[in-house]
Amino acid sequence: MSEWAWVTIGFVITFGALAGYTLRLRLRAEAIRRERVRR
Amino acid sequence: MNLLGRRLPAAALVLLAGGLVGAVLAPPDRFQGDYQRLMYVHVPTAWVAYLCFGLTGVASALWLWRRTGRFDRLAAASAELGVLFTGLTIVLGSWWGKPVWGVWWTWDPRLVTTALMFFVYLGYLALRRATLDPLARARRSAVLGVVAVVQVPVVHMSVVWWRALHQPPTVLKPGDPTIDHRMLAVLLLNVVAFTVFALMLLRARLRLTVLEDELATARAAEDTEVAGGVVTAPQLEGRMRDV
Repeated sequence: MSEWAWVTIGFVITFGALAGYTLRLRLRAEAIRRERVRR
Repeated sequence: MNLLGRRLPAAALVLLAGGLVGAVLAPPDRFQGDYQRLMYVHVPTAWVAYLCFGLTGVASALWLWRRTGRFDRLAAASAELGVLFTGLTIVLGSWWGKPVWGVWWTWDPRLVTTALMFFVYLGYLALRRATLDPLARARRSAVLGVVAVVQVPVVHMSVVWWRALHQPPTVLKPGDPTIDHRMLAVLLLNVVAFTVFALMLLRARLRLTVLEDELATARAAEDTEVAGGVVTAPQLEGRMRDV
C-alpha cells in the first residue's frame, strides 16, 4: 500500500470516528425528544 | 434545544477543513516521508484527550467543593469525550507506528501509560453507570476524577522519565519546538481545529445529558403513579441541589 493510501485511511478513521460520535449524539437526542412527545 | 448550536460547528468545520488541507500541503518528513502526516491528527487527538481529562479533574474538584450538579455533568461529559479521543490516539498511533516502527504495538512507556489511562477512564464511565443514586454517583466519580487526572502529566512526561521508543515532546517542552516551522503551523492549526470541535461535542453532550435527566425524571414520575401507595420508591442517600 502506498504511503498516501495509508495516510488517507488514517484520516478516514479519525474523521469517521468523530462524525460517528456526533451522529450518535444527535440520534440519541432525537430519540429522547420522540419519547417525551409520546408521553 | 439545538444540540449542536450553529456558530461553533461552522467554525469547527472550517478549521478542520483548513487543517486537512494544511496536512496535505505540508512538506513530507525527511525520514518518515508521507507517513509523518498522521502526526496532524494523532497529536491533536492526544492534546484533546489531555484537555478533556484535565477538565474532568477540575470539574470533579469543583463538585467536591460546591456539590453542584452541573459540575458532575461537566466531569462526566468531558470524561466520555476524553475516552473517545484517547481511543483515537491509540488507534492512530498504532496506525502510524506500523509503517515507521514495524510493529502495531510495543511495550513502550508512552503507549502503556496511555492505554492505562484509557482503561482507568473507561472504569470511570462504568462506575457512573453502575451507581443509581445521583449523590453517591457524583461523589464516587468526583473522587476518581480527581485521582485519575494525575495520569495526564505522567503520560506526557513518560518519554522523558523512562527510556522510550516513542519520540520525546517536540512542542510542549522547555525551549523552542524542534520541528520545521511550516509543519508546526499546520500542527497548531489542527490542534486549534480539534479543540474547537471537541468544545462543540462537549456542549452537545452536556445538552444531551440534560435531556436524559429530564426523561429519567418523567419516567420516575410515571412509575410512581402506576405503583400508587403499594410500592415505595427506594430511599436514596440524598439529593444534590440541581440534579
